[in-house]
Amino acid sequence: MSIEILKPGLLSTLVGSERIGFRNVGVGSGGAMDTFAMKVANYLVGNAEQESVLEMYFPSCEILFRNTELISVTGKGFDVSVNDTPISSWKPIVVSKNSILKLNVRRNGGRAYVSVNGGWKSASWLGSFSTHLGVQAGGHFGQVIKKGAVIETSRLSNAKDSNAFNWGIASSELEKVYTPANEIRCIESIESNLLSQPSRTVFTSTEFTISNTSNRMGLRLSGRPMKLDRPINLVSSAVDVGTIQLLPEGNLIILMADHQTTGGYPRIASVVKADLPKLAQLNPTDQLIFKFIKLHEAEKLLMERQSQLEEIRKSCLLRMRN
Amino acid sequence: MIDEVTITSLNENALLVSFGNTIDVAVNQHVISLTVTLVNKPFSGFIEAVPAYSSLAVFYDPRVVRSKNNVRATASEFVTSYIREILDNTGKIRDHSNGRKIEIPVLYDGEDLAFVADHHRLTTDEIVSTHTSTLYRVFMIGFLPGFAYMGTLDPRIEMSRKTSPRTSVPAGSVAIAGMQTGIYPQASPGGWQLIGRTPIKIFDTAKSTPCLLSSGDTVQFVAIDKDHFDSLNEY
Repeated sequence: MSIEILKPGLLSTLVGSERIGFRNVGVGSGGAMDTFAMKVANYLVGNAEQESVLEMYFPSCEILFRNTELISVTGKGFDVSVNDTPISSWKPIVVSKNSILKLNVRRNGGRAYVSVNGGWKSASWLGSFSTHLGVQAGGHFGQVIKKGAVIETSRLSNAKDSNAFNWGIASSELEKVYTPANEIRCIESIESNLLSQPSRTVFTSTEFTISNTSNRMGLRLSGRPMKLDRPINLVSSAVDVGTIQLLPEGNLIILMADHQTTGGYPRIASVVKADLPKLAQLNPTDQLIFKFIKLHEAEKLLMERQSQLEEIRKSCLLRMRN
Repeated sequence: MIDEVTITSLNENALLVSFGNTIDVAVNQHVISLTVTLVNKPFSGFIEAVPAYSSLAVFYDPRVVRSKNNVRATASEFVTSYIREILDNTGKIRDHSNGRKIEIPVLYDGEDLAFVADHHRLTTDEIVSTHTSTLYRVFMIGFLPGFAYMGTLDPRIEMSRKTSPRTSVPAGSVAIAGMQTGIYPQASPGGWQLIGRTPIKIFDTAKSTPCLLSSGDTVQFVAIDKDHFDSLNEY
């Protein structure tokens, strides 16, 4: 029971849950860039949310299925087809033996997640299947997936060609997560109050562009330069996914899944957790605008997102049984 | 000296307890003591604590904090008051600020050793004896998995970072920068001055406790020769 990667895309890895409890030894949470799409991909095939999922990125990917499998494709920015017949994302599908799944990038694409019933066979490291490229552990031998790679499924599939699924995730659920696509909500963070007043105005009222040096560690933004009231040397201290740091030359970086656990640049704001999936689907040259909200609102949004995922999980489970 | 402790939200699932913006043993001891106290007596919804030089980040799950602790206000308010209570009641803070003492063997043959010696008008032997005659505190771990920021260096061998960082520093390299010393656990780009290398794996993914060092530990570097290095080499 396996697939062969015919075209891998630029940075395809196996991702599982976030790696919890090791920041104190410099190991960050890692995991999927878009945790919403990753978890839902698992729910759609009847998996627990921490199962290993393929995260695929620009440009386009092709996968040969050597066996019939129940899969789903989630994420944004790709046209998906099986043997060149278009199929829908965000729903369970059966891919027959010897079929080719293609993910064709639309415009400059986003991140897509391919799950399989039972999960992809992955190395678990420190409680997570997520690939840690820095220490080469977890996932597919701790490595980026290359052309010709063969990935096994964790268990035998009982999917049949005759299986048909006529349900998927409602577009209204996706709109809650991904729209408006370019408005990113944030809250104040540790050094927000050190930002100069003109820079604060720049931050909240001008557009920033995602630069092409962005990666899984962070999104670098270009925009009007910003600065602090007065320069400060900070000793290293904790950061997190979504932390927005002001770099010395005046540009911003938003830390993403593979960020370092500590840093020394001013943390001028933090993207709210609920908007991280949306942010993960933005690409180089995309523009975004920040909107400050209050901490208690961010906390409420995070809990609403957790409840939404819980509802989706339950509803997938129910439909899978019927 | 601890002037004032501030507790600020890093984001909606983490608070930062700050004891100032400084590299200081006494301050770092407070950070580690609070870390140990919190980890031994966590609140419901606590996820993990990340100590740094003079701050401690406390990560939590707001939904669990609110439901398990019957919180009517925000989770951040609850966690803030939980930490304030520990801080105000110093009797609750157990002093675990000085951890284990760990010896790390080093072959002092680093590419920058002669440069550092020339800069200070010392011999390379004097650099080695100075580097090995100080006991270093592990202030924090960050930057890379297992990278321990240790200090403080004898001012006679203090050295600024390289003006142009190396694109790849080999794993095991022992290096200095400013008043700090450290060991690169993995090959990585890096700007610190390389003075030697250890044969010991200080971060080993094959182990269930992958990281040799913890914040608060004391490190003693011991000079070894090439034969000894080869016999111990884990890389």
